[in-house]
Amino acid sequence: MPTIIIDEQEVEFQPGETIIQAARHHGIEIPHFCWHPELSVPGNCRICLVEVDKMPKLVIACSTIASEGMVVHTKSEKTIDAQNAVMEFILINHPLDCPICDEAGECKLQDYAYNYSVGESRFIEEKNRKQKHVELGPRVMFDGERCISCSRCIRFCDEIAKKPELTFVQRGDRVTITTYPGQPMVNPYSMNTIDICPVGALTNIDFRFKARVWDMSSTKSICTGCSRGCNIDIWVRNNEILRLTPRYNEQVNSYWMCDDGRLNTFKYVNADDRVDSPQIRGEGQLRKVEWEEAFDETVSRIKSFSKDEIAFVGSAHATCEDNYIFAKFARSVIGCGNIDFVQHIDPEFGDDILRVNDVAPNAMGAKLTGVSPSKSGLDIDGIKKAIREGKVKALYILEDDIITEDPQFENIITKLDLLVVHSTNHNKTTALADIIFPASAYAEKNGTFVNINKIVQRIRPAITTVDTDRALDGMEMSRLDKFGTEFDRWATGVKVDAKASWKILVSLSGLFDHKMKFNMAEEVFADMAKNIDAFKGLNYDDVGDSGVKLNYQFIEQKVKA
Amino acid sequence: MEKKAAKIRKKDLTFLQKIYIPEIMKGLALTFRNMIRPKFTFEYPEEKFIPSGSYRGRPVLVEEKNGEERCVACGLCSRVCPALAIDVQAAETEREKERYPEKFEIDMLRCIFCGFCEEVCPEEAIVMSKDYELAFSSREEAIYGKDKLLVPVDQLQDRIDFLRQYK
Amino acid sequence: MGIGEIIIISAVKILVIVGLLLLMVSYLTYFERKISAWAQNRIGPNRVGWKGLLQPFADVFKLLLKEDIVPERANKMIHTIAPIIALFVAFSTFAVIPFGPDVHLFGYDIQLVVADVNIGILFVLALTSLGVYSLTLAGWSSGSKYSLLGGIRSSAQMISYEISMGFSVGGVLLLAESLRPIAIVDSQAGWMWNAVVQPIGFITFTVAAFAETSRLPFDLPEAEPELVGGFHTEYSSMKFAGFFLAEYANMIIASALIVTLYLGGWQIPYIELLELPSWLLVILQIGAFIFKLFALLFFFIWVRWSIPRFRYDQLMNLGWKVMFPLSLINIIWVALLIMIFGL
Ligand code: SF4
Ligand code: SF4
Ligand code: SF4
Ligand code: SF4
Repeated sequence: MPTIIIDEQEVEFQPGETIIQAARHHGIEIPHFCWHPELSVPGNCRICLVEVDKMPKLVIACSTIASEGMVVHTKSEKTIDAQNAVMEFILINHPLDCPICDEAGECKLQDYAYNYSVGESRFIEEKNRKQKHVELGPRVMFDGERCISCSRCIRFCDEIAKKPELTFVQRGDRVTITTYPGQPMVNPYSMNTIDICPVGALTNIDFRFKARVWDMSSTKSICTGCSRGCNIDIWVRNNEILRLTPRYNEQVNSYWMCDDGRLNTFKYVNADDRVDSPQIRGEGQLRKVEWEEAFDETVSRIKSFSKDEIAFVGSAHATCEDNYIFAKFARSVIGCGNIDFVQHIDPEFGDDILRVNDVAPNAMGAKLTGVSPSKSGLDIDGIKKAIREGKVKALYILEDDIITEDPQFENIITKLDLLVVHSTNHNKTTALADIIFPASAYAEKNGTFVNINKIVQRIRPAITTVDTDRALDGMEMSRLDKFGTEFDRWATGVKVDAKASWKILVSLSGLFDHKMKFNMAEEVFADMAKNIDAFKGLNYDDVGDSGVKLNYQFIEQKVKA
Repeated sequence: MEKKAAKIRKKDLTFLQKIYIPEIMKGLALTFRNMIRPKFTFEYPEEKFIPSGSYRGRPVLVEEKNGEERCVACGLCSRVCPALAIDVQAAETEREKERYPEKFEIDMLRCIFCGFCEEVCPEEAIVMSKDYELAFSSREEAIYGKDKLLVPVDQLQDRIDFLRQYK
Repeated sequence: MGIGEIIIISAVKILVIVGLLLLMVSYLTYFERKISAWAQNRIGPNRVGWKGLLQPFADVFKLLLKEDIVPERANKMIHTIAPIIALFVAFSTFAVIPFGPDVHLFGYDIQLVVADVNIGILFVLALTSLGVYSLTLAGWSSGSKYSLLGGIRSSAQMISYEISMGFSVGGVLLLAESLRPIAIVDSQAGWMWNAVVQPIGFITFTVAAFAETSRLPFDLPEAEPELVGGFHTEYSSMKFAGFFLAEYANMIIASALIVTLYLGGWQIPYIELLELPSWLLVILQIGAFIFKLFALLFFFIWVRWSIPRFRYDQLMNLGWKVMFPLSLINIIWVALLIMIFGL
């Protein structure tokens, strides 16, 4: 392979790569504003200027193709001078907005001002004034003064979202970004421009001013908006999720995620309608009870039915671990083969970028872990029919609002003698339930999802429940989490009394003669890896941050009893 | 050149020091001199100590003449506070600075009067006042919200002048 | 004088002295606080009454209103008796201290001493040794390590210093040729104060007096930093007040003893040359006694706020290796004086 020399270090590169790419692949960071690995190269910010031997002038590393034997200096005096000059130039009209700017703390301009600038300006004139509150679209706010005209946002809309909605207007120091008249930026990926904007010119209207970056903890997780399973970071302060941002994963979502996933998949976690303790219906009213009481009630009532009178509905929203234990519970503990789950399909949702029509994150996982009828068992339609005919009298539902998804259920569910539901929030299904167990949401537990491309990926707890603890459970901690005490007002955020569904089922199994012994999600996964071919030999460490592609031909998997 | 560290050992006492009585006399003389020195105690509730601008009393928020706070809720004070005393929640406003503290609380039981918040504030919006009279009868009372923290700018002029001169 | 009159006179004297003593003790605490404040450049109590003069009463009320706590593992009876012993010893010692010459009142010759005992000085020494019991018992009965340590320290300390104290008194007795306090006072007529004649004895006795009263720099039985109050850690309310009162009463007794033994008692040198009327003389002499007493009390307090506490080993060293030999030297010195000058 050909090599170039960067800062006296010999570096191999693929023919056709630019200097900045070659350097980046070997961990050498050349500063850049406008260059983005997934976007075209405009070469307009000039901060990536580097000195190359035998070239008369400095060259921009982002668009100079590396060639054999090139000698590049990223820390030479000339380079440093150039970087400082570019910084001084960019800062001429940049407002002193850091205290009120949401980007502060994760701002490239701020970082580079520390790293590549002496921090002095010779410019004594008034700074330019431009429009500061411009709603480019319903989700993105633009601040003209802060924009450094890198054009990343424009290129993103053109090249990634394939909706050319933004453009530069005016010239010189009056240049600014705008949408076409009467056409706001509404593309379903618009908020990615906020992430790639190197400064705070584009901000998230939903998150604006809610918290400073350094006050939050961030936890690696997976978006639950559809079965693409985009990798995300969950940002939490005071035990409340404040925003989601995409996390790079080459084989799933690159640097992006859609606006719908970013905005609509976390709010229910902190909503007021969370189920926050087990509840039992008595005389038509739901009443909160202790866990023990709910367990006893469930067991005694389930025992009053024969096993053919019971049916189980798993969930494409629950993790593989939950579904696996659920299937095990149905088959081994109750001995019942009537088990299936409801698909969530939204034919409008998918596109050819990231979004897919299956809008639940884990349909694959549910199938794989055995949530499908046994040979003689009923599938979901069979269950519906059997309930209508009065053959199935008890239904056990795992974390799924089946009535909202399939309104046919609404009428037939009333025919049941017993409806047990695990649920994170109150919804139409819990409204009819006899026993409700509060289930942890995806941001409160460990687990795995299998996406549409058969990639198994991990979710991790980002906020605490009564059952978990940041320090003890090794969760990500912000400064306040680390140094505050539990008596501080910021630590008194709401903690829901919920448990992961598999934990609830394990406790229940103890009251039957068939006790399961799992204490951690990891142990459940290990058991899956033993019993399910697709997961053979995997563990959480293998799955890691970026997931593992499962290698299997889809055939109906059976759990070994 | 190597210097030997001076050691103070019992052996180094002189004979007079060893017989102890002259030293006792010296000690007694010292306390006696103090007994007859004039006292400068302030008899507190009646007489009050009025500190100069360099005094670090409880931190307060500067209220502009038009009744608005200067603070833009940047959260730097909250970040720098070594005692985790400050809790700020920002929100959007129509005003020119676009951002203001919807909630600004200092837990006076946590505050250690270090003045870091004042030093870090980019807006000269939080300053140490001359107020040292802090008494509460419950933990909740010790959490000062904006109602107690906002102080008109003219009452803080001393401190602001001091800061401009020395900060 | 009939036996009834003797009893009545004695009872009146006892009442007057106990009353005065209690008043003095409470005001001594006030002065202690004032003087400590002055020494530390403060003002001291100034809220209760004019210049804080009612402070002692406020203190008493406070102590009275406090809960009386007895530790679970304490020996209840001894725990209660200990402060009573302390108070009893403190007050009864005062019986033999003369605070003025004989007076002629309501047709009686009255000695200004409750009991003119032949062996008054022995009585004092005996009673003060008894005082150790109160501290040791208090420390032992509390059922607390700190208290026990304090109690043990107090007994060791008092025994050690009792010896030099006894030998110092020996010198005084040699000169006075009597054990009667009044005789001892009489023997110091003019400028023949024992403090002048036998200064070494004076010093050793004074130091021993500090140790006997457990005042700083010899307050090891209490030693707040290490023993959290020592023998009285587990005492509260009026029982604590008992020890407190006893400590100050002991201070008064020690001062009165020093005045009696070394500073000429109630005598004012050569005052008889002025040929004053006898009533005035008596008043002046009582005044002189009180003045000397107060000067010494001031000295006690002054020392407390000037000199730091000794370490335990230093205390023992001082007691056995310095004070004891010095008091022996003093006896020899007095004996020599008597031999040479035939005093
Ligand atoms: S808004 Fe941001 S991304 Fe767009 S051109 Fe300006 S600085 Fe670049
Ligand atoms: S494409 Fe799907 S997984 Fe990705 S962010 Fe959107 S909803 Fe979430
Ligand atoms: S540092 Fe100043 S401007 Fe920022 S939040 Fe604190 S008081 Fe407000
Ligand atoms: S003075 Fe120090 S401790 Fe007090 S609020 Fe300010 S930074 Fe925090």
